Amino acid sequence: MKTTDSHAFVNQFLIWLLVTFSASGSIGLGMVWMRHQISATANANRRLEARIADVQRRIDETTTAIEGEKGSDVLRRRNAEWHLGLVQATEIQIVRMPDDPVMRLARFGNRDLFHDSVTAVSFRLAAKE
Amino acid sequence: MSKGFASNYRILVLATGLFGVFGLLGARLVWLHVVDRDSYLRNIVKARRQIIVEKARRGDILDANGAILATSHSLIEVGVDPSALRKPDDKLHAKDEAKWPQLAALLGLPLAELEKTFTTKFREPAPAPTASAASSAAAPAGLVFNLNLSPAAPATVKDGTAANAEDDDTEIDPAADGAGRHEIKWAKLAENISESTYADIEKLNIHGVYGIRVYRRSYPHHQLASHLLGFVSRQQQPVAGLERYAEFYLRGQDGWREGERDGRSNELAQFRTREVPRADGFTVRLSIDANVQDIIEQELATIAKTYQPVKATIVVSDPRDGFILGMANYPTYDPNEYNKVPKDEQERLKNVAVADVYEPGSVFKIVAASGALEERLVTPDTTFDCSLARADYRGKSLSLPADDHFYDDPHRVPLSRVISFSSNRGAAQLAMKLGEEKFYRYARAFGFGSKLGFPVGGEVNGTVHAPGSAGWDGLTITRMPMGHAIDCTVLQMHAAMSAIANGGVLLRPQLIRQIRDAAGEKVYSFERVELNRAVSTETARTMAQMLMGVATKNGTAPDAAIAGYEVAGKTGTTQKLEPVELANGQTVLRYSTRHHVASFVGFFPASRPQIAISVIIDDADAHAPNGVAYGSKVAAPSFKHIGEQLIPLLNIQAGRGVVPTNLVAFEGGRR
Repeated sequence: MKTTDSHAFVNQFLIWLLVTFSASGSIGLGMVWMRHQISATANANRRLEARIADVQRRIDETTTAIEGEKGSDVLRRRNAEWHLGLVQATEIQIVRMPDDPVMRLARFGNRDLFHDSVTAVSFRLAAKE
Repeated sequence: MSKGFASNYRILVLATGLFGVFGLLGARLVWLHVVDRDSYLRNIVKARRQIIVEKARRGDILDANGAILATSHSLIEVGVDPSALRKPDDKLHAKDEAKWPQLAALLGLPLAELEKTFTTKFREPAPAPTASAASSAAAPAGLVFNLNLSPAAPATVKDGTAANAEDDDTEIDPAADGAGRHEIKWAKLAENISESTYADIEKLNIHGVYGIRVYRRSYPHHQLASHLLGFVSRQQQPVAGLERYAEFYLRGQDGWREGERDGRSNELAQFRTREVPRADGFTVRLSIDANVQDIIEQELATIAKTYQPVKATIVVSDPRDGFILGMANYPTYDPNEYNKVPKDEQERLKNVAVADVYEPGSVFKIVAASGALEERLVTPDTTFDCSLARADYRGKSLSLPADDHFYDDPHRVPLSRVISFSSNRGAAQLAMKLGEEKFYRYARAFGFGSKLGFPVGGEVNGTVHAPGSAGWDGLTITRMPMGHAIDCTVLQMHAAMSAIANGGVLLRPQLIRQIRDAAGEKVYSFERVELNRAVSTETARTMAQMLMGVATKNGTAPDAAIAGYEVAGKTGTTQKLEPVELANGQTVLRYSTRHHVASFVGFFPASRPQIAISVIIDDADAHAPNGVAYGSKVAAPSFKHIGEQLIPLLNIQAGRGVVPTNLVAFEGGRR
């Protein structure tokens, strides 16, 4: 190709112009698409934040309602309304264990094994067929 | 491509045209972005820029077990813009109007009232005030504001007219029409609407009906510990109690973000430029146990029902570290409805345990006895002649107060009996042995006459006259030991008795255990604070032993005894001062024989104190046995009743068996 030929020059010019327009158009469209995506993501985040805040508000509201229902006055009223007959434990009903309850239960559970007197200990064995 | 089109001339024209167009575009861009930049930018910033404030959530107040005593949650004030309602010629108007009954039901409003609000589009001009109306201060009967904190709707705009000043439930257009009427822009339909109810209201989709979200402080247990918690006003200002004291921890820090908004005022999240996240308030964890608090408030309710006193106070604390487990007063109030307390009952808002003073009466005898023991002037076996009507003191013969107790041998009453029988003459002789300067010093060492540093309630000093001052006369040395001529707060008396319980150290009564951040991490922890040592451990031990004699059948308060537990304490019955008009028209204060303050202050188990309880009942005489409210008859049974309920709740174990009864060990003295 002769580059000094005006025909070739026009062709080249138009092609480059088209390429430039296409490229800049693509870049522009890409940027628009990207900005749209950024906008969509940011708005999605905003909606999520709003949703989280809404959930948090409902949690606070529910927590307040639950705490109100746990109030002594309400529990007393429910006890009377539902005829539950619940009363506070008195000292006479309480057996205090000065030692570790786990060790105490273990001692009770195994009192036959560790008795001072000689006792018969039986072991059950599974018979192999 | 044809040769003709590709001629140099045409190429030149094409190129010139293209460059010209681009040049124009470039010039316009330069014009817009450089020359006119500032003015356009100002418009954009004005129109689109916005700063959104993100409100911090106020921290919760928890009890010792994590129960929520105060919390924040959102509520919605629902209102209507009558001018924005669909017009009758709108085809959707009928559809909206059909939903009004549903809306009224959701709001809990009568339909007629709702319709009236919807159809009232203008506020009529206020009539000119008449002379009589102006002179009546324009305050409608029954309208009561508390502490000058009138609840005002957040969305209220006041235009300064008298009519609008009274009505703060509407927002009006400040510009009046030709007839002087103001267009209503927003009229409140209901407040305190929950999120879930508001969601249902939104589903109705009635044009012009919308809500304003407001954050409100809520106290789920209502009046429980109200005098300690205080309250936050509707304007979100902490007014009293812990809400005010711990404001620094509770309030949090609002966040904000800078960005842009679109034409509908919706935030354009992609254009956020700067953002500071909010920091929610810290959680304040108290030493108060909601169960203990409930027990004492129930007891106060019983006292109020039985004796109908003017006021009453109960304080429960752990004497080993000074932390308060419960503090309650009668009468009380619900902090959720602080604005509904009538104007003439504002005293109900006061924490009388720290803000009011009373003459402590015989409970104060612990000061003279402890001082004399500490100075080695007496022992529990030292005897006093309680038959004496007068005694010599520094060269003067002073009259001794009356004693109304019967002794086997009034000439030889041992100190232990002086305490257990609550002898006024014995106490006077103790103070006289001690001398007024030392007696005064011990009174101050036990915390009387100065603030203990209790964080809430507006603590007052109380009054202890110094020897030689105008308030100290010739008889004060005989009267002050029995708790007259002195006044103190309930908490001061409680702290003094706790000092006996914990081995002689006066501790600061405290309320806050811990501060935690929003993530639950510990920020600060409050520890036991010793103010001073009042007496030695040995003296405190001896005093505790003698005080055990009070709650026995030989003492003044057998009704305070708890089966299986060593109870140490002291009764008090103080005559109240009342104004008496003399013949010459002058009014003087005289001790009344008809009005008393009954008290019992004690602790248990005496050998290993875990709980200190004070019960103070003011003027219960009208309904007391025999018409006199003695501490032994009115306050001591309450002490016992509370103690019995606290034993299983706090797992209080009897001291006996661990430490012999005659030996008293104190954990507090060693810490």
